[in-house]
Amino acid sequence: MATVAATDTVNIVINDVDLQVPKGELVVEAVKRLGHEIPIFCYHPRMKPVGMCRMCLVEVGFKQPDGSVRKMPKPQAGCTLPVSEGMVIYTDTEMVHRDRKGVLEFLLINHPLDCPVCDRGGECPLQNNTIFYGPSTSRYIDIKRHAPKAFPLSEYVTLDLERCIQCGRCVRFTEEISGDAQLAFRFRGAAMQPSTFKLTDFDSKFSGNVIEICPVGALTSSKYRFRARPWDLETSEGLCLECGNGCNVWLDHRAAKLVRVNGRTNEAINEEWTCDKGKFGHDYYNSSKRLTQPLRREGDRFVPVSWGEAYAEIAAHLGAKSAALVGSTVSNEGLFCLQKLFKDGFGSENIDHRWTRTLPAAGERVAKRHESSIASLEHKKTVLVFGADLANSQPIVHLRVRKGWFLNETRVVVAHSQTTDADSFANLLLSCKPGSLDDLAMGLERAVAEAQKTDVQGFASFKDTEKTTSVKESALREVAAMLLEGNASIVCTASIYNENKPVETLAALAKIAAATGAEFNVYAEGGNDEGAMALGVMTGRNTHEILQDCAMGDLNALWLVGADPLTLHPSRRLAEDALEAVPFLVYQGLLECEAMGYASIVLPMEAPGEHDGTYTNIEGRVQRMQQAVKNPGDGKPAWRVFSELLVRIKPGRPSFSAKEIMDEIAATHPAFAEATYDKLEKEGTPLKPVIENFYM
Amino acid sequence: MKGQAQMYRDVVKPLLAGFGITAKRLGRKKVTIQYPEELREQYPRTRWRHFLTRYDSGLERCIGCSLCAGACPARCIYVEAAENTDQERYSPGERYAVRYEINMLRCIFCGYCQDACPTGAIVLRKDFELANYERSQFLFTKEMLLEEYPGQNLEPHKGKMQGTIALKN
Amino acid sequence: MSDFLQLGSPNERPRAPRLDELDLKFSDQALAELDELYSHYPDKKSCILPGLWIAQREYGGYLNGEAIAEVAYHLKRSYAEVEGVATFYSMYNTVHAVGKHMIEVCTCLSCQVCGAYPVAEYLKKKLGVGFGETTEDGVFTLHEVECLNACDRAPVLQVGSSYHGPVDEKSIDALLENLRAQEESTVIQMANDIVKVQTGPLKSK
Repeated sequence: MATVAATDTVNIVINDVDLQVPKGELVVEAVKRLGHEIPIFCYHPRMKPVGMCRMCLVEVGFKQPDGSVRKMPKPQAGCTLPVSEGMVIYTDTEMVHRDRKGVLEFLLINHPLDCPVCDRGGECPLQNNTIFYGPSTSRYIDIKRHAPKAFPLSEYVTLDLERCIQCGRCVRFTEEISGDAQLAFRFRGAAMQPSTFKLTDFDSKFSGNVIEICPVGALTSSKYRFRARPWDLETSEGLCLECGNGCNVWLDHRAAKLVRVNGRTNEAINEEWTCDKGKFGHDYYNSSKRLTQPLRREGDRFVPVSWGEAYAEIAAHLGAKSAALVGSTVSNEGLFCLQKLFKDGFGSENIDHRWTRTLPAAGERVAKRHESSIASLEHKKTVLVFGADLANSQPIVHLRVRKGWFLNETRVVVAHSQTTDADSFANLLLSCKPGSLDDLAMGLERAVAEAQKTDVQGFASFKDTEKTTSVKESALREVAAMLLEGNASIVCTASIYNENKPVETLAALAKIAAATGAEFNVYAEGGNDEGAMALGVMTGRNTHEILQDCAMGDLNALWLVGADPLTLHPSRRLAEDALEAVPFLVYQGLLECEAMGYASIVLPMEAPGEHDGTYTNIEGRVQRMQQAVKNPGDGKPAWRVFSELLVRIKPGRPSFSAKEIMDEIAATHPAFAEATYDKLEKEGTPLKPVIENFYM
Repeated sequence: MKGQAQMYRDVVKPLLAGFGITAKRLGRKKVTIQYPEELREQYPRTRWRHFLTRYDSGLERCIGCSLCAGACPARCIYVEAAENTDQERYSPGERYAVRYEINMLRCIFCGYCQDACPTGAIVLRKDFELANYERSQFLFTKEMLLEEYPGQNLEPHKGKMQGTIALKN
Repeated sequence: MSDFLQLGSPNERPRAPRLDELDLKFSDQALAELDELYSHYPDKKSCILPGLWIAQREYGGYLNGEAIAEVAYHLKRSYAEVEGVATFYSMYNTVHAVGKHMIEVCTCLSCQVCGAYPVAEYLKKKLGVGFGETTEDGVFTLHEVECLNACDRAPVLQVGSSYHGPVDEKSIDALLENLRAQEESTVIQMANDIVKVQTGPLKSK
């Protein structure tokens, strides 16, 4: 945990090399500065050290005034020992090697040697450390501890108790990082088992991470079980688009099929974690319901057609009286080409990507949506989570807020009408009545105004606020005081548009933010929703109006780009009416779905990992995902379809690659100026802020 | 004259020498064999066609661990594993190979797979007649590789004649 | 603790009860004791051990899942964390229900030398149960324990919070008679005594 200021250093000696390291740094971290490595199991840089496995033993001594080194009589655990002035550390002595051998022999006493069938085999820290540091044989001849194999702790996590070396990483993860404390060590000694309460369901939104941090094969993925061995896999850098956080993941694939998703380190976004939606929610890549070729409706059935025929059909039917509704996994390139196709090709402005109950004005696209970067949230003094269930809609933001609370004493205030996961650690909980978030925001505005001794005319009294929201005056005043202490952040998500009077609520919050100097965020929700906002994919009629127009027969054609209104739109009835009434419906998507049943033309789309593309996450970070796997059928990336179709309607030069489109976007959209393929950074490039303040 | 002497030197003498060798060898034992009907016994460590073996209990030895595929320098082995259940048990333990394929066109018969196998499931034995007419026939599936009962291919080799034809001659 | 590695059937994976589904059983007195305990410690996490003693008393000497869940509910910890603590210590009865009286026979070195095994065998025969088992009438539970720190009185038994030793067959007969006659459960009595110590007046340092 190198969070200590670099100016405060101590002089130490590691393997006869003098160096300065930050004061208080752990030995196991300090030796990395010289490129040495200490074998570890239980230590994890993002969690508190416990010294359970004893694998990191080193010899430690101190310099005496006469220049000699006085060694401690016994080896020390490097993961719990902070460096101090004059410390002399040896990681490579005979004693250390002997100790490591001994520790490994002990760890392997009860560890079954079923590496050939273990899913961890080949990428197992215990295997690696045993090969590098361990004994070649075991002296243990008795019967090993036995337990039932492969117990499913949840739908996703399988526990093999025999293999557990009781390092406590999983237990600490659920306590310190995810915060649900679902796992604990039950019983003791050889019977100790990291498991859930009475072996009930492991009900966590981040359970997948314990699979990755388990240094043996005790916790393995139920979905990846026996699917492949590590040496069978190829891996590609990918992004998760299940929500808008833009987590970096490894897409592990075998024979062009995605078999597993693992977290990839990006300190700016997800550190190394993933949520369960991201880790296990990518089944659709290999789904049997994947669309593989363009289809045309003929009577009651679909017949396969070529892309050319499909294009011709679409070009013949779509015109100025057509509209498009976009889902959240279309890349920036796709969105841009869609805009171009509709504007230049069909002469229609009617495209939208928003699916919330209330659809704010089109001007929303330039609103303040992300003042705080995800990484900055852990250093805030106060975080006000307003009307958002972060663990569900923004899991990684949730982890950051919790990390700030856990490590940096961030005070977390949760204001919501429902119970959320953040309630369990919130310093202050403003639990209001359903549908009263707007009143709560106004009440808070009043509290801030009173604390600043400004005019409070026109505000509802605290009594009225308490009546409508059930939140007490004292609580509001407390929050106002917290916000006024500075370094605060107000976090909302686009889900606030599903509440009463969202515009007024947001305006009140924006005023609070301006008055207190807090940062204000209204994070987008879907995979690339932020990209769609930044590109302005919401011209002409909005989603609601488009569906209404379809139902009324005012629109001749509707194009659904990776979106199913029947599941996305709050009013299913309107969506049904619209799809029923519209004369020509194009459904472009990954999977067969209900809306497809209404379509005249069905186009297969490539999943995000099947083509090059960039995606913008909630904090406006543009990241690129390269092709990892191959499309199982004849699908095309969305941008290619739009671009090829545009050439049919309006002859010209089509776009040949995603890179070209990104250059075009950079040239036309000032926010994306730094986001071309040549300039994209490893951790993603943040969008350039264009308009500073919208709500005021 | 010159012609006769030359003819004797160039034709008759070599012929006689040749027949002489034939005559000399007539009484000795034959080196050649009638190949398709007879087969030579091979060296004990000859490595040819792969087999997947079984335990004496009849269960497959292969646990689908893919170590053979990892060790294979020609990358010609493909293994797909699945889980045993009590109702449907193929091998002891949790895991068995549901697909096991070797591309014999690629295989270089190095035997690394046999070395790598932790259960001794895959072995290279002495069946060397691997020629075929179609490329697709060289993709050996699990059904082709798996012996039907334990020790099936350890029976006396079909080409072993009288046990006397030695390669040493 | 014979069943510590029993994981149960994989197909039955029940959901842990939500907090609002719990059937809370703590008496008012227990809640008052808990409230008093909070003042002894810096945070509620520190109250897990005394909280479990209260639960052991309230739930009749046996910490079942509901008891553990109730402690977790009152202390605002996760179920798993409290269960981890409870199952760590052998004096919490978490594995199976116990009888009214728990007889713990020390079979450590000194007691062994002084004849702990014959005593244990006699008890087993007399009660008709083995170690870790409860008699059919639910009065006695027999346990084998490590050193009770009373070697001067070896062989020694612990029943509730009192030691009996040195014991022989005759004194065991008398002890069992006494215990049979005793109305109050020594298991609960012991828990109660410990809770009293825990919640006693704060000593100034």
